[in-house]
Amino acid sequence: MKTKGAEKIISVYWFAILFIVAAAVVYMVFSFYGEPYDVRGIETGLLVDRIADCLNSGGYINEDWQNLDESNILDECRLNFNVEDTSGWNDDQYYIEIEISEFNSGKILEEVFAGNRNLNNNCGIESRNFPVCLERSMYSVDEENNQYKIRILSVIRKTEKNVQ
Amino acid sequence: MLSIRDKKGNILTENIIFIVLNLVFITILILFLFTKVGSAAVLEEKYAKEIAMLINAAEPVMTIDLKMDKAIEKAKGEKFPIGEIVKINGNIVTVRLKEESQGYSYSFFNDVNAIANLETQNKTSYYFVITEKQ
Repeated sequence: MKTKGAEKIISVYWFAILFIVAAAVVYMVFSFYGEPYDVRGIETGLLVDRIADCLNSGGYINEDWQNLDESNILDECRLNFNVEDTSGWNDDQYYIEIEISEFNSGKILEEVFAGNRNLNNNCGIESRNFPVCLERSMYSVDEENNQYKIRILSVIRKTEKNVQ
Repeated sequence: MLSIRDKKGNILTENIIFIVLNLVFITILILFLFTKVGSAAVLEEKYAKEIAMLINAAEPVMTIDLKMDKAIEKAKGEKFPIGEIVKINGNIVTVRLKEESQGYSYSFFNDVNAIANLETQNKTSYYFVITEKQ
């Protein structure tokens, strides 16, 4: 049979356990909800989709693809790389790279870049504190049945708003 | 000398106090969780990013309806005008749920005109009209 003293010790242990559980829950909640939602993965995917839709329509490559360059790619693909004034951002949070090559030979016919080129250097680094990169390739043809490979790379930084 | 009935009474009282304390503890934890999950700052960020992603995926001459009942409830609780929760300035979405808050802003890359309007019938959602930039 338990004595009164033993029961007191058990209740002290019990409250110690409750305190530990409470501390763990508070810590988990703060670490989960204290961190921003990281939407850069979705955003890079949407950016690649937009560029793909702009370069290719119904399986055919855009007729004006040879006229695309750094100065007109944003207008042609209806893109706006301005960002909110926060954490010293200076409209330098995006980077896109488009490479159009012959499908069979692999010869590069056109390369177009836009945005902050420095972001490209961080691709391949596996860390949440670095920009998110997404590369996709697709096949396309023109009216004369020439075959092309289109490679699109999109990079988004926005680290301060997506990672703590 | 204590009778059997008295002994049972003591055990019951101790157990009830113990259970009540545990329930109080669990209630406080749950309340804490709900306060954190539904806080204005968390909702502002969630909706600002969600709206920015929706606009990124949209094409001109689209209307997007977004249920924002949680944000609207929160704004009502904070006595903030519900028609001013979402503001779109250029390509920056700002969601604000409290008078004393600066709101949360997030940019979208889709170069379109986006206008945010409160659904006036049920007042639980916002709709976004996407049009081509002139």
